[in-house]
Amino acid sequence: MNSAYIASIINATLRSTTPILLAALGSAICSRVGVFNVALEAQMLIATFTSIAVNYFTGSALLSVVVGVASGALIGAIVAVLQVKYKAADMVVGTALNLLTTASTTFLLYLVFDRRGSLIDERLVSLTKINLPVIKDIPFVGRVLENLTFIDYICYIIAIALFIYLFKTVSGFRDLSVGINKTAAESLGTKATAIQMRMVILSGALCGLGGVALAMGQVIMFTENMTSGRGFIAMAAASLGMSHPLLTIVSSLFFGLCQSIGLALQNVIKSQLTTAIPYIATIIALVVFSKRNKKN
Amino acid sequence: MKHITKVYGSLYANNDIPLTLNKGEILAVVGENGAGKSTLMKILYGLEQPTSGEIYLNGEKQNFRSPHDAIAKKIGMVQQHFMLLEPCTVAENIVYGKEPKKGLFFDREGAVKIVEELCEKYGLHIDPRLKVGDCPVGLQQRVEILKVLYQDADIIIFDEPSAVLTPQEVTELLATMRKLATMGKSIIIITHKLHEVMAVADRVMVMRLGKFIQEMPITETNIEEMSFLMVGRHVVERHVDPQPTGERVLDVKDLVLAGSDAKNILDHFNMHVDAGEIVGIAGVSGNGQSELIQCLTGLLPPTSGQILLQGKDVAGHSVGEIREAGCACIPEDRYLWGCAKEATLTETAIMAHQHKPELSKNGLLNSKGAKVFTQRLLDNYDVRNSGQSQKAGELSGGNIQKLIVAREMEQKSPLLIAAEPTRGVDIGAIEFIHGKLLEKRAEGDAVLLISSELTEIMSLSDRIYVIYEGQAAGEFRKEDATEEDLGILMMGGKLV
Ligand SMILES: Nc1ncnc2c1ncn2[C@@H]1O[C@H](COP(=O)(O)OP(=O)(O)OP(=O)(O)O)[C@@H](O)[C@H]1O
Ligand SMILES: [Mg+2]
Repeated sequence: MNSAYIASIINATLRSTTPILLAALGSAICSRVGVFNVALEAQMLIATFTSIAVNYFTGSALLSVVVGVASGALIGAIVAVLQVKYKAADMVVGTALNLLTTASTTFLLYLVFDRRGSLIDERLVSLTKINLPVIKDIPFVGRVLENLTFIDYICYIIAIALFIYLFKTVSGFRDLSVGINKTAAESLGTKATAIQMRMVILSGALCGLGGVALAMGQVIMFTENMTSGRGFIAMAAASLGMSHPLLTIVSSLFFGLCQSIGLALQNVIKSQLTTAIPYIATIIALVVFSKRNKKN
Repeated sequence: MKHITKVYGSLYANNDIPLTLNKGEILAVVGENGAGKSTLMKILYGLEQPTSGEIYLNGEKQNFRSPHDAIAKKIGMVQQHFMLLEPCTVAENIVYGKEPKKGLFFDREGAVKIVEELCEKYGLHIDPRLKVGDCPVGLQQRVEILKVLYQDADIIIFDEPSAVLTPQEVTELLATMRKLATMGKSIIIITHKLHEVMAVADRVMVMRLGKFIQEMPITETNIEEMSFLMVGRHVVERHVDPQPTGERVLDVKDLVLAGSDAKNILDHFNMHVDAGEIVGIAGVSGNGQSELIQCLTGLLPPTSGQILLQGKDVAGHSVGEIREAGCACIPEDRYLWGCAKEATLTETAIMAHQHKPELSKNGLLNSKGAKVFTQRLLDNYDVRNSGQSQKAGELSGGNIQKLIVAREMEQKSPLLIAAEPTRGVDIGAIEFIHGKLLEKRAEGDAVLLISSELTEIMSLSDRIYVIYEGQAAGEFRKEDATEEDLGILMMGGKLV
């Protein structure tokens, strides 16, 4: 194994981590305010579709990002209204939205583009790749950071910003208090329901950005069910990271690594097996972690 | 407050109640369970809106739509069930709602300082950096009081503040209240303990069945008169005759429950309860009583030792198996273990009875049987309710306690564990529940009574164990026990 190979694995890891980390942050902030958001998958998938669709018709990468994020937030808003405001069961709302989004994006793909399976087109423009001037010439580091988009960088900044907001500011403290004891927070005059709804919508926007990274990052395309369970992997990442933004970075990197290893082994082992690696890792990680938790 | 009326459905929780409070005064509000005391206070604090009636503050008419409005008018409330953020620190809890800031950020160091100053000012000491969840109940209550003081309240309402405190903590609390009153705060206290009323209040107001009965200065009344006004009859003191005991029902041998550190929570604990006797366990709360109950009822598996229930070792068995083997339990915390707040009264009443033939057949519930059964419990134990479909959480604190007592009595099991059976119930109901426990004893069943009320232990028990740091620090027969001796052992002292 030479250093170029390792560098390319790290590079692939960083790219696979981005969508997972963004969705995991979305999941984490929901749990922090006491909402169990199962619709992460839907929030991401809708953005992969809308961003590619806007991209196709306008040719504007920026507009694609904006619409992708907004569509994720829209699904978040539906979750917020149904689950937080009208107190519908979380599993039901989440599962329904996940199924609905999978089906409707597939359907729209056929209806609008007359395609089945996927949409790839030379008209689609990519996000600008950031190749840092001096750094790109440093041998190992240059390869590691090659061809990353701004979203691949910004997701870490978002994580740190969320950490500072939640744990260092007054309104972050109020938000956390809602997750700890909603009745107590309310009895002290905090508008708990509004806070929960806001957070769920923000989670939708984060997942939306993750979806955009997925559709316009390594490849530029939309395929049916493109997220293929990343929303659930993100949920696992958030729970391993104890819904703490900084720890969630670590756990998301772990799942990103599993995915890039899976990709790298594709030529060695049967691909059906390698694609299962991230999911197997998820299960093992959750089991190991919950065991350790029980002991404490 | 003038002509306050609050109607729930067809029930008058408050009926035309007047209430006045002067500056620097302590007013006690007493009355039976369900008399409407908590409701009246919730109206004053903006948690509930009155059906009719007005509130005036310094002559100005008020309209509180939420606690927020009341807090703004300097009214604070220490609720019966604490409203705290347990994983957060004392300081964070106290400054909540009016946090100090440093630029954009929450100034946690500043909060600690503020709390230290507040503690100094009112002479209430607590370490602001402690996690609230790690504090004993007494300190948690102090956090609630400081919270109200930080909001700069002039009127402070206490709803049954002493129900969960140890005797020492109660003494401290009463001293705190007096001090606050001399500093010009006006205080309303709801309590069922009339000696506390005598010790701390300037004036007392009696309520019964949602109505105002009478109001008088404390100097012109006494405990007998107050209890007569509350219950509407005289409460007599009970005399219990000794009776011979039967075979051993519960035998706890060398019970150990290891803690997270080197110290055992239950440390080679030995005791037994025979048929036809009431055995009391006295102790300052936090000395292993809760864990003992949980081991006995199957909620916690003990590390080692035996629990013989009618000769059969049930240590480490499941809750269901232990109940099956003949043990019923009135749990110490009615909302945590005793009932589900969202459940209806019918559901609450039939819990753990559901397998009886009158209530279910072939796995299907007999809802008619359940209704009849529940109604019997509600009637026999005088649980004030507005119908069986009412939620358990909507009953007044004392009434839900009575329903749980009824349900566990009805098990007619050879052993009844009664933990704090009269917490938060009025004197009439205490007398009633005590009577029921004695009836059970007279029927030849065994009763294990765990209570932080020394007087309750002393008046009912045939035998008394003192528990200190997980060990049985002493055993007394009723005739040999004195309050002084028990008190010394409870505090970890030795008898000479
Ligand atoms: N939300 C509610 N819905 C329906 N009935 C209610 C509700 N809250 C209280 N009640 C009823 O109003 C009556 C008065 O209740 P309240 O809690 O004021 O009694 P209390 O005097 O505080 O009694 P306790 O000493 O047992 O705490 C009770 O009969 C109770 O069942
Ligand atoms: Mg009450």
